[in-house]
Amino acid sequence: MRRAPTLLLLAPVLLVLVPLFGGALLFGAARSLGHMPEIGMDGWSLAPWREVLTDPQTWRALALSLWIAAAATALSLVAGTALALGLARPFRGAGLARLLVQVNLTVPHLLAGAGVLLLLSQSGLAARGAAAFGWIDAPAEFPALVWDRAAAGTIAAYVVKEVPFVTLLALSTLASLGPGPVEAARTTGASRWQALRFVTLPALAPTLSAAGAITFAFAFGAYELPALLGASHPLALPVLAWQKETATSLTERPEAMALALMTAAVAAGLVGLVARARR
Amino acid sequence: MRPALVWLAAALLLLPLLPLIPWAFARGWFFPDLLPSRWSLAAWDYALSPAGGLLPALGVTTLIAALAATVSLALALPAARALGQRSFPGKGAMMLLVLAPVLVPGLAVTMGLQGLMTRAELTGTLAGVTLVHLIPVLPYATLLLAALFSGLDPDEEAQARSLGASPAAAFARVTLPALSPGLAAAWALGFLVSWSQYAPTLVAGAGQVQTLPLLLFAFLSSGRHDIAGAIGLVYLVPGLLVLALASRTLGRGLGASR
Amino acid sequence: MRSIALALALLPASAGAQDLLDLSWEEVVEEARGGEVNFFLWGGADNINRYVSEYLGGLLKPYEITLNRVGVADTTEAVNLVLGEKAAGNDNEGAVDLIWINGENFRTMMEADLAYCGYTDLLPNAEYVDWQSPAIAYDFGLATEGCEVPWSGAQFAFAYDSARMDEPPRSIEAILDFARENPGQFTYPAPPDFNGAAFVRHVFYEVAGGPDRLLGDFDQQVFDEVAGETWELLNELEPSLWREGATYPTSITQLQQLFANGEVALSFEYNPSQFGAGVEAGQFPETVRSYGLDGGTLANTNYTLIPYNAANKAAALVLQNLILSPEAQLEKARPEVWGAASVLVEDRLPSDVQESFAALPSHPSVVSPAELAGAALPELSADWIAAIEAGWIETVGTR
Repeated sequence: MRRAPTLLLLAPVLLVLVPLFGGALLFGAARSLGHMPEIGMDGWSLAPWREVLTDPQTWRALALSLWIAAAATALSLVAGTALALGLARPFRGAGLARLLVQVNLTVPHLLAGAGVLLLLSQSGLAARGAAAFGWIDAPAEFPALVWDRAAAGTIAAYVVKEVPFVTLLALSTLASLGPGPVEAARTTGASRWQALRFVTLPALAPTLSAAGAITFAFAFGAYELPALLGASHPLALPVLAWQKETATSLTERPEAMALALMTAAVAAGLVGLVARARR
Repeated sequence: MRPALVWLAAALLLLPLLPLIPWAFARGWFFPDLLPSRWSLAAWDYALSPAGGLLPALGVTTLIAALAATVSLALALPAARALGQRSFPGKGAMMLLVLAPVLVPGLAVTMGLQGLMTRAELTGTLAGVTLVHLIPVLPYATLLLAALFSGLDPDEEAQARSLGASPAAAFARVTLPALSPGLAAAWALGFLVSWSQYAPTLVAGAGQVQTLPLLLFAFLSSGRHDIAGAIGLVYLVPGLLVLALASRTLGRGLGASR
Repeated sequence: MRSIALALALLPASAGAQDLLDLSWEEVVEEARGGEVNFFLWGGADNINRYVSEYLGGLLKPYEITLNRVGVADTTEAVNLVLGEKAAGNDNEGAVDLIWINGENFRTMMEADLAYCGYTDLLPNAEYVDWQSPAIAYDFGLATEGCEVPWSGAQFAFAYDSARMDEPPRSIEAILDFARENPGQFTYPAPPDFNGAAFVRHVFYEVAGGPDRLLGDFDQQVFDEVAGETWELLNELEPSLWREGATYPTSITQLQQLFANGEVALSFEYNPSQFGAGVEAGQFPETVRSYGLDGGTLANTNYTLIPYNAANKAAALVLQNLILSPEAQLEKARPEVWGAASVLVEDRLPSDVQESFAALPSHPSVVSPAELAGAALPELSADWIAAIEAGWIETVGTR
């Protein structure tokens, strides 16, 4: 029986992804090397990279973005796994609860960010609730969760978005695992915690590490949420890059591209390391 | 987690959506008022006016998301079959390549694309924006479908073939029906991924392709929370519809993908 | 039939840049008729969007020209688009026909040779403009040279809430004193925010003893001298600022939000009509009042610009001419529409329009433009502005 050659099957995806994704990165790499003919910069130079790598702002931005991504990923994984374990067991209204948890999957990040802003800013709905209870008298007494240096608001918005994602993936893994292995462990004398530690979590590990990698890469490199919810200093790496991309001085464009490529490289590198460590 | 905690978590997750509702109907709402002092439909009046452009943006966003999801499924089906049912040299590298757009933050790609798109005269067109949306949508579609294919029994299609069905007929009568819940789930996921794109639309659309997130960002960044609330509520609806329609199939589709 | 074909063959398929300048105004209008124009401008204000889409769009109807208002989050997006088109060799079919622009983006476009120039005499309504006035002839120190058409005048003003404060501080010195005496009640957006950078320039002027030493070309020695003292002053102020200066608002919108909710006591805006529009939209309490400073506040003009490669230059010219018409400038000046100051010379206007301008109602939250204009400070050249922004970011903002 004749089969279509594998390469032919792969071709449609390759023909779209390689030129768009690879082409864009190549184009960006050229610009980050100071190649921008439209403003008369025809040559090649390492100056934009030198400028970016010696600027203390870059390193503070990198540290902030790592913090945002790590905190958002850790919180999302823990909360998402716990929620999945809770939803996996039957209880009254479990179907409705599942549906409610899934709602945020359909909520765009920008909208989640807007909601966090209107909820958690020092004059937001939560602060107003606190004032109504007499806990605070002025906005300044409410904790600074938004536009703060620790990026609490940004992290909260990512968690709100990514917990449902982790939950859904974990739930489907639990469903395919079935109750059998855990019951078997329990009948042979394992405690509930031991069953969780030695049976359920190892079964979930591949799913969780994939979900974690996707969450980390996204929270590390996305622009909208730190732009909306972040402080004036330090800036998240993508915000710093975009600030240079829209700076009025054209000569900053190559630096913007170098920062964007650096963001991509760091995320890809870290995800690669995790993947290698898991093997 | 106990059911009470599950309900609490679900409520906490939904809490950020709550302020959008009063804001969309508020006219003047300052600290420490728990509810707006004045209610108004002014935000809706503006958003729905021709200058506000909410309805055209809704149409454009829906069209792009539907196109991106459909095109992605069509492109991903053959690749997913190869990845799900065959082993071939370089399969690991191929998987990595397909995953790359999800694992490499999009900003560098987005900024680099501006130059490419302009050279191809695609900047500012619906087609250009849809094409750029394929970058984040294709990986999800391909991997989800690959997982589906790996769960199928290739023998069934072979049996149909041996009974005289043409390859196309065997695919259409045997494989496709078995895939259909998963296809619906993949389409819904692709739709939602495209639906929430901001930066790629901004760059590839060059302002001329006005989607809901662009409109939302404009009013968020100018502090008009009433108009942002109105746009936000409209922005929620199609996603919720997709969820409601797909919730059963989505659950089954993802379940079957394991 | 044949004569029509012949006439069509003789007509230029689409008049190129040079051709357009050789045409009479009537011919330009004919060229534009039935076409469209893509007007790129910041899209975050509903009143401005309405004025452009509905009012200006309506004015174009008799010409059968369709106005596409393209709302952007940042004017630089439009500049980047034109730049990308130039890189791609698209020199005639550019997507941007008109940009609302000023200052630094204008400099960027001139540096990269992206502006269409030399057409302003062609516009019939150009006669109402005093092209020699420094406020029109120079955009942040750079000669406009027939590459820009003025749209509105703007002058910086401060604001307070009369329900919470009897008398606001009316000089930079008094504002800084107020900040020190009322910890947490004052802040300003971090440059490169446009309005935050303008506030920093007011402090810079104060330290320099007035604008005189700073006008003209950039002078490193004067800059170093004034900047050192300014950054020291602003750094010493930090502990008294909102959140003790650990962070600043990142945009003027954030400052307005803090101000509206009583988190800070003072605010400001380069276009004080926004305080009136904001009260009407429920963004500010009705008791908000805007005011000028005894020592004056910065004033500038904003413009519209046609990119060199615009596909619909003729239609853009027709739109620019309408923007300059006495009626459109009057409509724009109405507080309930936009409240933006006219750029036309009043004595040159028809007498009925003059009367209408004189009879414009004022909004209680908006300081009268005449009162502000009594003490206007000139803007610096773009080099100065860039140096002050960079200096603030390095020495104050990221310390």
